[in-house]
Amino acid sequence: MESEKESKSSDPKEYKWDAYLKSYYDKPSSVKSWSGYELKGIFNPDDTKDQDYDHSISDAGTYPFTRGIHPNMFRGRYWTRREVVGIGSPSDTNERLRFCFENGGSGLNTIADVTNEMGLDADHPWAADEVGLTGVNVTSIRDMESLTEGIPLDKVSWSVITATPAAAANMSQYIAVAQNRGYDLSALRGSIQNDPIHARYCGFRPASPLDLSIKLGSDIIEYCSRNLPKWYHTTVNMYDLREQGITAPQEVAFGFGIAMCYIDELIRRGVDIDAFAPRISFYVSCHVDIFEEVSKIRAARRMWAKIMKEKYGAKNPASMHFRFAVHTAGCSLVPQQPLNNIVRISYEALAAVLAGVQSLHCCSYDEPICLPTEKGHLQALRTQQILAYETGVTNVADPLGGSYYVENFTDKIEEESLKIMKQVEELGGMEEAIRTEWLDRELEAAALERQKELDNGDKLVVGVNAFTSSEEKTTPLGVQRVQKQSAIEQIAGVKDLKENRDMHRLKEAIKRLRDDVGEGKNVIPAMVEATKAFGTTGELIGTVREAMGYSYDCMNIIESPFD
Amino acid sequence: MMDEKRKIKILITKVGLDGHDRGAKVVATLLKEAGMEVIYLGMYQMPEGIVQVAADEDVDVIGLSYLSGEHLIFTPKIVELIKENDLDDVLLIAGGTFPPEDIPTLKDMGIDEVFRAGSLTQSIIQYIRDNVRE
Repeated sequence: MESEKESKSSDPKEYKWDAYLKSYYDKPSSVKSWSGYELKGIFNPDDTKDQDYDHSISDAGTYPFTRGIHPNMFRGRYWTRREVVGIGSPSDTNERLRFCFENGGSGLNTIADVTNEMGLDADHPWAADEVGLTGVNVTSIRDMESLTEGIPLDKVSWSVITATPAAAANMSQYIAVAQNRGYDLSALRGSIQNDPIHARYCGFRPASPLDLSIKLGSDIIEYCSRNLPKWYHTTVNMYDLREQGITAPQEVAFGFGIAMCYIDELIRRGVDIDAFAPRISFYVSCHVDIFEEVSKIRAARRMWAKIMKEKYGAKNPASMHFRFAVHTAGCSLVPQQPLNNIVRISYEALAAVLAGVQSLHCCSYDEPICLPTEKGHLQALRTQQILAYETGVTNVADPLGGSYYVENFTDKIEEESLKIMKQVEELGGMEEAIRTEWLDRELEAAALERQKELDNGDKLVVGVNAFTSSEEKTTPLGVQRVQKQSAIEQIAGVKDLKENRDMHRLKEAIKRLRDDVGEGKNVIPAMVEATKAFGTTGELIGTVREAMGYSYDCMNIIESPFD
Repeated sequence: MMDEKRKIKILITKVGLDGHDRGAKVVATLLKEAGMEVIYLGMYQMPEGIVQVAADEDVDVIGLSYLSGEHLIFTPKIVELIKENDLDDVLLIAGGTFPPEDIPTLKDMGIDEVFRAGSLTQSIIQYIRDNVRE
């Protein structure tokens, strides 16, 4: 009788059939790509007829590398499955790292917290409340020891995400720990982000004056090229720029502009392009528009090869490789209906793999809610593993190559990116575009436009301006909290270290660092020495800042403890 | 509801060291476009400075932008300073990245309303217009 009752109450007249009919006949309200390209309904041979396969596309592994940097791509090796980790104290972070690689993660990846990026020691007055909230603070060699505890540095590939000038300190700490443990530096594999120029657009401006950024960024590149031949000494961060709301071609153009600032400095120093270019890599976003992202990366590969060969005269093919890690787009994720983020991340990771990615971080679904929970991290790793081991998308290099649409789109993005790069050149180059805050204005305008698109429904996001439901009261897999105790203990540890070190030895090391800056030498050897004498991140960076005419402390609170 | 003739004055700021300011800047610009008077303090602001400016400028609304989990640390300090400065009539709102579990906590602490990432601008404007105190 229940069913009779039901059929009675679901009177067709009462049910909202209008909504059903609207849904049934619904079609896309926009036929634009995420970056705003107006697209045709179908592409055909006419759209690719001007292309010369051998010259501008070519098989994977051959110039201009449009289809991939390796001839066999994933048949040789999967991409590195690398989840970003940074939480609480160095030992908390070490624990989560182990969790990731015990579950099949194939690369280690740690991110500095905001205090570390600013170059502040854990005991800095501004740091006390924020140590470990968004990553890990590495103040001294002791912290780097805890972070790397029990991990064989000659076997693993470690990605150290510190972007600002503080990267010089973290790199020196990593080198010092490796040396103290008896490793040959030439055996170390991994990367450091080391893109202090871009860091000014991520909230680290006081810590990243332009000349200091170019100086320290280039010092790391030069030092690692000579001493750590397997180490990727810079990862130009196009991703963070894209997160501000810019388009795919802007991401490529701005990223390349910044990369060229470092390259130009190395060339000014007389370093041969082929001596360092093979170890430059990029950090790229994959947003949710799959075909646009694949086309963007194919365009970037072709553009980079041409820039390195034609502009910089590189001869080693490895110098012409656009090697990249992908971070799926954090800004595409929303806290509303959060499990949907797993789907968004999967599409973005698919785009990265279809585009021939070298290393991938999948966001955890809880990215727009809190730091990743352990369950969130594991699910993100599983997303990568399903893609790698179940779907078969790894079987063939550049599977979308030859698609009329994707080949045409690749050309379009290349054309637009080159146009923007030309505009930057006419402004006097990227350094000038940064100094005059032209780049700030571009980023801000883009961010505003993205919000307006959301507000007026030009771009639809499920849970935000389409298919909304009442707000969740809880987070499906729980919330990650940072234990206050971790910060308290780390701060106490730093204070203890500062009280009990050999000040005479440290002062000598700091004096050498200061002198080396004054004499225009590469500062990494002096930083490694100062690190071994228990000089801290804040002290190392502060000393270089002072020697270059800046305040010791970027927050202008503390003075140098050295004469 | 407030007298339509007087412009609503709102202070928008990041709190602490966190540098994710895309949202704060966008909201500041859009509220200005909606006819409000916006004082945008930007990054690296501590509770004392924020409340001082709010008092000096006699603002109607304070908007705090958070991302990195520091909302539970700084909010009680800001609320305490607001009370000390007799600014109880100021509408206090927060925007950014928070676990939903923290929203009741933030409201208990004294935040009037929370706008998480993904909020549409119209919802923020409407809330301010409906709730700003005379």
